[in-house]
Amino acid sequence: MHYPWWYVPYLTSPMLIAAVSVLHVLVSHYAVGGGLFLAFETAYAYKRNDRDYLAYLKRHAKFFVLLTVVLGAITGVGIWWTIGLASPLATEVLIQTFVFGWATEWVFFVIELTAAFIFLYYWGRLPPQIHVRIGWLYAASAWISLVLITGITAFMLNPGKWLDQPDFWTGFLNPQFLPQTIARTGGALLLSSLYVYLHAAIVIKDQRLQRQIEQRSTRPALLGAVMIALGGLAWYFFLPESAIRALSAAAALNVLMGLLFAATIVVFAALFFGPYLNPGWLHSPGFAGCLLAFGFIAFSTGEFIREAVRKPYIVYNVVFGNGIFPEETSRLRREGYLQGGTWTAQYVRAKYPQVVVDGRIDDDRLRALDRNAQVDLGAVIFQYHCNDCHAPAVGYSAVGPLIQGWSSQMLADLVDELHVKRFTMPPFCGTEAERDLLVAYLQTIAPPPPHGMRLNGSSTR
Amino acid sequence: MDPQALIDTTYLAPLPAPLWFIQFFKVLGFVLHLVLMNLWYAGVPVAVGLWLSGRAHGRRWTTRLIAQMPLIIAFGVNFGIVPLLFIQVAYGKFFYPATILMAWTWFSVFVLLTFAYYGIYLFAHGLKTYGPNLPKRFAAAGWVSALIFVALGFVFANAMSLMSNVAAWPGLLQDHSVHGAALGTAMNLCDPSLWPRWLMLFGLALTTLSVWTVVDAAWFAGNESPEYRQWSCGFAWKTHTVGMLIFAAMGAWYVFGAWPEDVRNRMLHGPMIAHTLLTGAIPGVVWLLLAWGARASSSSVARTPPGRGWASTVFIAQVAVLAINAVTRQIVQNIELQRYSASLWKETATQWSPMALFLAVFVLGVGVVAWMVLQVVRAERASG
Repeated sequence: MHYPWWYVPYLTSPMLIAAVSVLHVLVSHYAVGGGLFLAFETAYAYKRNDRDYLAYLKRHAKFFVLLTVVLGAITGVGIWWTIGLASPLATEVLIQTFVFGWATEWVFFVIELTAAFIFLYYWGRLPPQIHVRIGWLYAASAWISLVLITGITAFMLNPGKWLDQPDFWTGFLNPQFLPQTIARTGGALLLSSLYVYLHAAIVIKDQRLQRQIEQRSTRPALLGAVMIALGGLAWYFFLPESAIRALSAAAALNVLMGLLFAATIVVFAALFFGPYLNPGWLHSPGFAGCLLAFGFIAFSTGEFIREAVRKPYIVYNVVFGNGIFPEETSRLRREGYLQGGTWTAQYVRAKYPQVVVDGRIDDDRLRALDRNAQVDLGAVIFQYHCNDCHAPAVGYSAVGPLIQGWSSQMLADLVDELHVKRFTMPPFCGTEAERDLLVAYLQTIAPPPPHGMRLNGSSTR
Repeated sequence: MDPQALIDTTYLAPLPAPLWFIQFFKVLGFVLHLVLMNLWYAGVPVAVGLWLSGRAHGRRWTTRLIAQMPLIIAFGVNFGIVPLLFIQVAYGKFFYPATILMAWTWFSVFVLLTFAYYGIYLFAHGLKTYGPNLPKRFAAAGWVSALIFVALGFVFANAMSLMSNVAAWPGLLQDHSVHGAALGTAMNLCDPSLWPRWLMLFGLALTTLSVWTVVDAAWFAGNESPEYRQWSCGFAWKTHTVGMLIFAAMGAWYVFGAWPEDVRNRMLHGPMIAHTLLTGAIPGVVWLLLAWGARASSSSVARTPPGRGWASTVFIAQVAVLAINAVTRQIVQNIELQRYSASLWKETATQWSPMALFLAVFVLGVGVVAWMVLQVVRAERASG
């Protein structure tokens, strides 16, 4: 509304954010946990003068840099790219609020990069003490980056008192900050161990060394598991009520929660019974690969749920998913969505100048348009108001199949009280005439009933 | 459609810092980004070309540059975050619509960059492992990366020019939309400033590459033969000459053929004319320094390339060239957007404590990075 809407067929543009974000977190958490692992273990190996272990750690550092510095860093930038395209208003609000948080995080990112390259490329050329110090510099700055970004993403789920006191620190130190920082730190520790298992299972043939690597990396993994559990519980406790209700109300989220719990339990159990009690199981890349895959599933599902429970908001109580501020609702219902939208107003004026009276889009003129024009304008409203979560006829959470068989009155009733009937939906922000345009369009995308279904004994539809 | 009406004024948050502060960091970040980005933008195509030529010194330079390229890209991308952040703080009203109109192309940037980056790693790995017998698949990775980098330059030129070309937005939306929603398939191809901007930057990038050639030869190529270092001076001068000619030709096209009248009036009259002339002429200073170096190294008496002091002077002069260029770009952008930005930036609510935290961490970060670099220097010295 404030900005042009980007129509991505079938998928909806915000789903691209989810895709890029999931890819990013799978690498970025490793960038944090792997940094801690390398710093801690390099210090340990130097202390014991364990040359075999040092040789492995160097090998792991190469893999680590190749993955995190390229894919991790660029997908991080990619998230920025994507949120600006798919949710520009929310991005604008976040950037105006947290610009110095991001700028500070950038400084730590520079330290991270410098330390990562020196740690790898000057392996064996720096005195051990300095080498370890640089490893710790990397680990510390990577973890601080995690903390800074978590403050901002946690704000999106529960900004706390920021609405009353809209300053940086109130927003940053929101109720979700600590729980998510604990959970993400745990996640970083756990995920990095899973990466280490797989990497070691593939590249190490010496069983003694492999066993040592497993034992060394299982303790942080178990610590990570405990932190995830504690952070996860606190995350749930500090969720807004709507988010808790959304978790139980939406069938898809039920399934995802089940999947999240199942995958997490599998990973925890495999860690305990595998490397902790029976070191040696991880000699097989297949087992280590499965463990990492379960870790990926748990992480991806967790991220998806974290995004989904915010509905109908993209920033809880601050910006609706469709790029409208809650405080704009009344005005838009009174004055019209098409008129109130910066881009919709211009589009309508250019394409349907006959509906403009004294510079404003007139409801009576909208009603007087022919059917095709009404459907077209209904589609405009759908694109800007609904397409952030719903594909039209086919695709992600498509509306068409959901309203199959609905009469225009049923649709009008639903649109009128969208937020009442579905609390995960934002209120409809248009006039009655615009509601009718939207209904006219919705009727065109509702599919006919499926053929071949046997009902009432004999006939099919 | 009225372009002015497409600038959203219904949500105007106060700026979190004074406009000059935002513009300063935007320009500073852009200069840092520009130095390194120039090296991959022009450097990778030149490097793959030199490798193809088969000449020994050219191939040495390719091997050296591509070995450095993973670091150059990592830091170059990282430094690009700063202008990207601050451009959204003050210029979001222009940045978001422009990039949304060309969303698929803009979205493709980080996907393509990932491929190009891994392509460089592959190319570097191939050069290190196989040397002159580089298998074709590794050379192909280098070519693909080179093409991607040149294409990415075009995408950026599109986005940044479209940001200022608000008048084109209505037409692009009409031609590339479905029910008023952007398809994300528009490009700013009809903007007369697009092509000279893109090519002008390529010319500038060639000049930076030439400067890096002599810096590398003077500072980091201790193991290379004197002939190679001598070659590097001549090569740098020739590359700079080509780059400067492209920069001059495209710059003239940009200024006299593509600047809107209001920009031309401001930049070519009054106090700004000195700045405009300086922007156009200052690459000549670097060219003279390089010409002197090339002449000294080819002189029948000395035949030794000038030393580190000279290379450092050339480098500092080139950074000054890029800094002046970046400042000019900012001034031009401000003039171009002036008619649309009158209602913006009226309020500032400076976030003092977060800003102080950032500045403190920035200073501390510079110190930490300097300490790490010092350890590297010591290690280098220790290993002779």
